Amino acid sequence: MGSLLRKATTYDVLREHGIDRRRFVKFCTMMAAAMGLEATVVPQIVEALETKPRLPVIWLHGLECTCCSESFIRSSHPIAQDVILNMISLDYDDTLMAAAGFQAEENRKRIMKDYAGQYVLAVEGNAPTADGGVYCTVGGETFLSILQETAENAKAVIAWGSCASNGCVQAAKPNPTGAKPVHKLISHKAIVNVPGCPPIAEVMTGVLTYILTFGALPELDRYGRPKMFYGQRIHDKCYRRSFFDAGQFVESWDDDGAKKGWCLYKMGCRGPTTYNSCPTFKWNNGVSYPIGSGHGCIGCSEENFWDNGPFYERLTSIPVPGIESTPNEIGTVAAGAAMVGVGLHFISSMARRATQKKEEAPDKEGR
Amino acid sequence: MSTAVPEFDPQEIALHPEDYFRRQLVWQLPVRITHWVNAACLIVLFLTGLYISHPLLAPSGEAVRHFVMGRVRQIHFVAAMIFTVSFLARIYWFWMGNAYSRSGFPYVWRPEWWKDLFRQGTDYLRLERGHAHLGHNSLGGVAYTLFVIFLGWCQIFTGMAMYSESNPGGFLNRVFGWVLPLLGGSFTTRMWHHAFAWGFVVFAILHVYIILYDSTQYGNGLITSIISGYKFYQKGDFKED
Ligand code: HEM
Ligand code: HEM
Ligand code: SF4
Ligand code: SF4
Repeated sequence: MGSLLRKATTYDVLREHGIDRRRFVKFCTMMAAAMGLEATVVPQIVEALETKPRLPVIWLHGLECTCCSESFIRSSHPIAQDVILNMISLDYDDTLMAAAGFQAEENRKRIMKDYAGQYVLAVEGNAPTADGGVYCTVGGETFLSILQETAENAKAVIAWGSCASNGCVQAAKPNPTGAKPVHKLISHKAIVNVPGCPPIAEVMTGVLTYILTFGALPELDRYGRPKMFYGQRIHDKCYRRSFFDAGQFVESWDDDGAKKGWCLYKMGCRGPTTYNSCPTFKWNNGVSYPIGSGHGCIGCSEENFWDNGPFYERLTSIPVPGIESTPNEIGTVAAGAAMVGVGLHFISSMARRATQKKEEAPDKEGR
Repeated sequence: MSTAVPEFDPQEIALHPEDYFRRQLVWQLPVRITHWVNAACLIVLFLTGLYISHPLLAPSGEAVRHFVMGRVRQIHFVAAMIFTVSFLARIYWFWMGNAYSRSGFPYVWRPEWWKDLFRQGTDYLRLERGHAHLGHNSLGGVAYTLFVIFLGWCQIFTGMAMYSESNPGGFLNRVFGWVLPLLGGSFTTRMWHHAFAWGFVVFAILHVYIILYDSTQYGNGLITSIISGYKFYQKGDFKED
């Protein structure tokens, strides 16, 4: 891995690794397309990668499963793999770096000092906050304090994956460790959320390329996600949408509709409520994505997707403590109760009227 | 006090009917129009909403020939837009209309409102004729405020937010999009929209029953009043009478 001190550009490092210019320009073109930018921006990306020193990145790992790193290093495009690993100067990454122990921690401290205000903090996973954060410690320090300390002088923070962006499984109910996503732990810093479990490799690369090229964070939506990758729902780009509009739905796994590739809405597909790029980039070298393989989207890039279960049903339970019922169950009970109340009132008023008729004593004066 | 409509001497009534029965224009035209537009929209919205959440009877053959879900959603959205306009019109008329258009509204800082609430509640439970109203009574006011105004806003905000999702960054999305993060995301917004929808069913049951009951109990022509606008009252119903 290239050293920071050389201040090499991405292009320098790529050439060192035997990537020719043609492949490099191809990569830049692909990135522009992935970010939804015009072809005229390609030279800008080329120039940035050629001239700007590589982006110093500190990559921290908290409570997580490392699926984001797995996704990142398996970046699909044939030329991307080398490029991505060399695009940033990854001088501290618990998982990937050569250094270990004290030397590694030293490294982090040095980058924080030498590149104060310039380095990007990439966070994979989140920090447990219960009991002073003891449920995740690195080198004797709580991850919570490492996170906050490292964020202090960062230029920007990238929250990789659903863990860092919105909590994911470790923050799902009942969240015993008090795990919290990055944006709830760090304030006064530009944070970009890149949710997904894991996020798509092309999306991760795209975010980094954008930051390197334009020296700023991409435009974000209400959830702090880059609009270019999370601007639309799976449902609005899904190739099964015509079956949705037609009203043709898979009713059970392996039924006739499933064989014909009908819409997975009734099987609990979260496409209508999930913002991600899966139908565009797909997964594993663009081979397929869940819906393409006949399984509904589980909404992995959405907040609380673990709590919004079961995955194979459309509606979840009302999140009111003590009630474990779906809206339909509650609705029918409420409507039933209203019917019973109305019925009782009706019967008693009829009974009252019948007895009064017998007494034959209407009040002649009104009241 | 009697439970049914008081009976008067038929001969006297025939001589001076206006001494015994009078009618009063209570529901002005905008109230009547918005009532039926809202009622029709709510029925359509609930039924199409149920289909959207649980589509049935898949058509066979190529998808290109069918547009069932699409059409049902389209009807839901058209009804939703009409409902929204009519709902807002009724709210406008709350201030612009006659005193009856504001009657019963929970002015919780006024003791009379609480007194009327208690009196009406007990009258309905004791099956007594009790005190007559021309406008809404306090109990009705509570019901309309909770089931119609509050739930109406809930449905409009959650519904519009979901509707705006198909055009991110568009006008509706900028106006209503904030609802989605507030309710914990697009998925939970849908869940609440669905749960609130049942509130209208509960309302319709209570509403139609109480209209029928009240109309028979008071003999005030309440049922036809929402078409004609006139309610009837009789000797002894009001102090000034
Ligand atoms: C059998 C059919 C119905 C009749 C005869 C009827 C009659 C009436 C009457 C007379 C009022 C005035 C209420 C009062 O003084 O307490 C009223 C108000 C209202 N009704 Fe209905 N109703 C019917 C069905 C419905 C349905 C199905 C809905 C919607 C689910 C609905 C929604 C409302 C609303 C929102 C109000 C308050 C309206 C206002 O003051 O503008 N009604 N209705
Ligand atoms: C007033 C404005 C309203 C708007 C803009 C609106 C819009 C929507 C939208 C966008 C959906 C989601 C459709 C989809 O999943 O593709 C929906 C679903 C639904 N709506 Fe509405 N709606 C409105 C009012 C109502 C009302 C008043 C009711 C109830 C009487 C209602 C009942 C439902 C139901 C039950 C669903 C199904 C929810 C589900 O997906 O499980 N809506 N509506
Ligand atoms: S499979 Fe899922 S994302 Fe695709 S159209 Fe159906 S509901 Fe929408
Ligand atoms: S299709 Fe849905 S669940 Fe699958 S990876 Fe994409 S966002 Fe996540």
